[in-house]
Amino acid sequence: MMIEVRNLSKSYGSTKAVNDISLSIGKGELFGLLGPNGSGKTTMIKMLTGQVKPTSGSLRVHGVNVLEDPIRVRELVGVIPEQETPPSFLTAEEYLHFVAKIRKMEQYEAACEKWFEFFDFKDQKNSLCKDLSRGTRQKLMFAQAFLHEPELAIIDEPLINLDPIVQRKVKDFLVGYVKNGGTIFISTHILEIAKQICTSIGIIYKGKLVYTGRLDDPVLQGRNFEEFFLELVSRPENFYTGLSTPAQYA
Amino acid sequence: MFEIFKSMLKEEWRMHSNLFGNNGFSLFPGFIFLFTFFVSLVLPIFSEIFTYSQIALGMHYLFLLLGGMVGAFGLMDREFMNRRFGQASLIAYSSRTLPVSERLIFANFLVKDIVYYFVLYVLPFIAGFALAAAFIPAGNFHFPVILLLLLLTLSLSFMIGLSLVFFLSTVYAHSGKLLTSGLLVGCFFLLFISGNLDSRFFYSLPSLSFFLFPSKSQFLLSSGLIILPSALSLLFLKVDFPQAKKSFPNSFSRLCKEFGSYRYAAFVAKDFLDLKRSEGGLGKFIFSFLLPAALIWMLLSTLGKVLPALNILILFSLVLGILSSSMYNWLTEYDIFSSYAFFPLKVSDMIRSKLNSYLFLNLVPLILLILLTLKKDPAFLLPSLLLFLSISLYMVSILIYLTGLSPSINLYNGKTFALYTLSIMPLLLANIILSMFGSYYVLVNLLLIPLAFYLLGQSFRKWDRIESSYF
Repeated sequence: MMIEVRNLSKSYGSTKAVNDISLSIGKGELFGLLGPNGSGKTTMIKMLTGQVKPTSGSLRVHGVNVLEDPIRVRELVGVIPEQETPPSFLTAEEYLHFVAKIRKMEQYEAACEKWFEFFDFKDQKNSLCKDLSRGTRQKLMFAQAFLHEPELAIIDEPLINLDPIVQRKVKDFLVGYVKNGGTIFISTHILEIAKQICTSIGIIYKGKLVYTGRLDDPVLQGRNFEEFFLELVSRPENFYTGLSTPAQYA
Repeated sequence: MFEIFKSMLKEEWRMHSNLFGNNGFSLFPGFIFLFTFFVSLVLPIFSEIFTYSQIALGMHYLFLLLGGMVGAFGLMDREFMNRRFGQASLIAYSSRTLPVSERLIFANFLVKDIVYYFVLYVLPFIAGFALAAAFIPAGNFHFPVILLLLLLTLSLSFMIGLSLVFFLSTVYAHSGKLLTSGLLVGCFFLLFISGNLDSRFFYSLPSLSFFLFPSKSQFLLSSGLIILPSALSLLFLKVDFPQAKKSFPNSFSRLCKEFGSYRYAAFVAKDFLDLKRSEGGLGKFIFSFLLPAALIWMLLSTLGKVLPALNILILFSLVLGILSSSMYNWLTEYDIFSSYAFFPLKVSDMIRSKLNSYLFLNLVPLILLILLTLKKDPAFLLPSLLLFLSISLYMVSILIYLTGLSPSINLYNGKTFALYTLSIMPLLLANIILSMFGSYYVLVNLLLIPLAFYLLGQSFRKWDRIESSYF
């Protein structure tokens, strides 16, 4: 398993951001964590990458106990956080070189160049990060996450700020990455993305995982995905894990 | 009009209480009150050394500087605010989205700064001083009329500083090069004339003159120094000026190669580029270091003439060590830990990297001190350098222990600031007194070096324990 989460909870004061979540994601999966704004997706990602300590529960990522060795997890995994932007006063190229140095990569020039070509923004590699558009910054964040060719990437809102052409490129890349043996965990509130590229999904609502299953789960076949999602989050008592099928969805 | 002013006041308060915590920030004026009260209680000791007018001079320049700092933060640190709060813009920069003119917004911003910081700094300072003056023989300061006059003239000093910086920022908005070259010329001029400067020069600050010798003309001059720069700033206002997009060849990799296999090469190179390329990079060196250092040197030189017992070189090394620790603040202003939290790095790694950059930056004051000591009296070279190094290291270790990677935020917490002050004030006072008995007493300060290393070790553990998402 690339990600194994058992009874994971995180509270901020009296608010339960993540509430008793258990989840397993195998190698070669493109898992999409779906949920409305504020449902606990980002907290979940922060716990998976050791940025935030859970209140209770256990989690292993890439075979490493996150609580014991969060640094090792972040060495192995590529991460795109939701809001972070690259440092203001480095140029785009310098930022990727900086990341390569942090990741102790020996040869990285060619890898950086590959990403400038992939996203077609070679002409901006000498621009300061603060002067880049939000979309270009997101491309840069994407490049930094995959620079060291991790076997697992964790991405918060992968297509945010990207135009439709680049979105398509990214989606194709993610699908190809998984086909070549990689594993990807994305969180998003855009249902269409999940439907298009994910192999399995989880739906989180008010910190609880209210559905997990594969995209080819019979319960989803022939259903309007959006309506399914809305119905589920409006009636969270209809807790469904994909292991058993509640009558109303059968 | 009043609605904007009220909203700006609320915004300023909420911004500060959000950054520093409600309790911590609301304690800040209280701490200034207590601090001023206790410092003022020891005034009788200093009245043997400093005259009534010299104490007044110190106070008025302090508030002039404070006004300048408040203005500079409000106007120049939009980038800093964006890093802290994302792209949420302040009302001051919202003329594009609100149907209100830039001038009206800026006028409100100016008045808001005056009112807000008057309550935050000026009033508690005077109140603390006034309370202490009731207990001690403090020259003429115990007369209520004099204290009211002081309240007025310190406010004037604060507003002069604020208005001058607003004016300078307007010049900067039109031509950064013009401002930088003008200030550089000014700095060199001050350094050039420092040796022959008459102490009366410092008393020509109109608000100070008005306090010492109240007259209509000095009051008008003070008011003119507030109104004229503010009016010119409003007239030639350019708040949301387009910033040129710059391109740079890859200097980062070149710098890393020059550092070789040095462990923190990438971080030091990044910090160096941040300083070099940011708007306030060179300005920080000039305004926050070279200019205050030059002013302190001039003040100490003047003081040395009045009090020959004071060892000016030793005292300057001491103050330079304290002043240099502010460089750590500069280094931590360009990024926050959450930008690195998803990399295989601990908070302590980042602190260590900033500490390395700090040591590199300290080469500037070190060279300055060597040159100055060699020129004035080479016999003091060794004690001056030892004192500077131990004080600088101790100061930065205290700063790191108390504030981690966010000194400019955490230091505004009343409790933290109180601890910080308590950690340095006794040291400062002991050094001032001991410096009168020779120069080799400074060897005692070497004890600060192991203490600093101990504090740094504790800091690494402390800040690694705290959840990184809060940085």
